Amino acid sequence: MNRSLVIVLGALALGVAIFASSYFVSQRACVMSMTNPADDLNWLRNEFHLNDAEMARIRQLHEGYMPQCAKMCVLLAAKKSEVQAALADGTNVTADAQKKLTELGELRAQCQAQMLRHFIAVSQAMPPEQGRRYLAEMQRLTLGFHEEIEKSMSPASGHEHHQH
Amino acid sequence: MNKENTNPADAKLGALLRESRIAPALPPRFQESVWRRIEDAVAPSISTGSVSWLDALAALTLRPRLAFATVAALALAGVLLGTYQGTQVARHDAQVRYLAVVAPNPLR
Repeated sequence: MNRSLVIVLGALALGVAIFASSYFVSQRACVMSMTNPADDLNWLRNEFHLNDAEMARIRQLHEGYMPQCAKMCVLLAAKKSEVQAALADGTNVTADAQKKLTELGELRAQCQAQMLRHFIAVSQAMPPEQGRRYLAEMQRLTLGFHEEIEKSMSPASGHEHHQH
Repeated sequence: MNKENTNPADAKLGALLRESRIAPALPPRFQESVWRRIEDAVAPSISTGSVSWLDALAALTLRPRLAFATVAALALAGVLLGTYQGTQVARHDAQVRYLAVVAPNPLR
């Protein structure tokens, strides 16, 4: 094999190895240094540049909200089991299944309202600009998914219900 | 002290020996081929463009200052890009973690 070709290919491989190793090592180091596994609220502090006093207030709100959220989750899980049980037997939606589905929807709506109230309380514990940004971001992340589904179901997007 | 050989018999023997040597005949176009080989040895890379380009690149690669500068630039670029990507990944992971706590999946 040509000596020059070997030198050029070797240099190329060495360059790729140096770039890749420095990239992966620094990425890993950065992730490890920025991640705090003991604190679920770490994102809020970093993303919204909060000081200790603001974080203390938000932590208090968070700890007050968590039992309510857990209680709602238990209720939701129980209602979902009831819906599954009601739908398991027949091949059509019975009156009982319809009732359970409505209750599940209502429970979800209550849970979402409670969640939004918490987001609003947290946003008010932040500086005004950061609070607005937090609230917009949380609404986008938690309610945006439904909006996308609803938009995809609108006639404008080509989803139409043909009447016979 | 050296004494010159003035023996006439020796001179005659020398002439005979010179005459007896057989000079081999040169191959056809000997002189032309000698010059061609000299030219090839002086400029071996003029005839093939790609080989000369590769040789030049290899020679460039082996220059210590350029090699060190390239290694340093690649390492720096890797560290900068890795740090940027690491920040993004850490930020995303922290956001997902917060969301998982305050807004469980069934609600989203």
